[in-house]
Amino acid sequence: MNNGSSKPSDEEIVRRVIGGDIDAFESILLRYKDHVLKIVTKHVPYREVEETAHDVFVRAYQSLATFKGKSGFKNWLSAIAVRACYDFWRKHYRSRELPMSSLSEDHQEWLEEVMSDRSDQSFDDRVSQEKARELLEWALDRLSPEDRTVLELVYLEGRSGREAADLLGWSVPNVKVRSLRARRKLRHLLAGLVEV
Amino acid sequence: MKWLKRDHTRLKKLLIRAYHEKEKPDVDELWQISVMRHIRSLGPVRSERGYVGLFEQSVWRLAPVTGLLILILIALLLTLDFMPDYEMAKIFIDDPVEFTVVQWFGV
Repeated sequence: MNNGSSKPSDEEIVRRVIGGDIDAFESILLRYKDHVLKIVTKHVPYREVEETAHDVFVRAYQSLATFKGKSGFKNWLSAIAVRACYDFWRKHYRSRELPMSSLSEDHQEWLEEVMSDRSDQSFDDRVSQEKARELLEWALDRLSPEDRTVLELVYLEGRSGREAADLLGWSVPNVKVRSLRARRKLRHLLAGLVEV
Repeated sequence: MKWLKRDHTRLKKLLIRAYHEKEKPDVDELWQISVMRHIRSLGPVRSERGYVGLFEQSVWRLAPVTGLLILILIALLLTLDFMPDYEMAKIFIDDPVEFTVVQWFGV
């Protein structure tokens, strides 16, 4: 329990919200706004970030009673954020309402350069980074929501199978198998681009 | 074109960097107000799970025990060499009350 001068703990705020003080949830919103936005920005398109982050906090509020405090509020909220992003892609995958990104010849040329260049030429410039981002988005758009999410968590964020499984609420073997398949698909997609 | 490991590692590095360099949008105060308005409109948090939730919880908790029980019963039936037809006939003949009732009905 905190004294009056320090900030109340997450558990304390949660207790207050559950006790009927809805406004206390604003402290959680202010405390974790940046953390949630950081997660959501990585997983959904830029224009969908605000709406998805909004959804994350609403979901968190609605399931606040299920928070047991085992692994900390931040981890609990992170799992909600990742699952909200996964649900976003599931919904999008079903309706196909977002246009799929496309590539130009420039992207193919850039990829060929990266793959064929034997020297340690730097690909640090801004244009190169932009090309890499667009290429990645193009490839991720062609994966299923499951493959996409696992690939982002394990391959691109470098999380362990256990961490990804905890965030998604899946089993560890499922994450590992899915991750292997998704990596293979990504490789196949990019290889197909070079071979065209 | 061959995908050498070295090439793949370089491409992976570039893709990872591109992934992490996405810019986080600066949400304004209006966004916070809109989230809080939505949350207030939902009303107080329900601290207790509904009957359906409790039922679901207990069903899943009992599922492994039920499964185990079924397996034990199957194993028991197999080891005892249980034959349903034979057992039914035995009960039918051995039980005088049942037998009388059956006779009474003239079966």
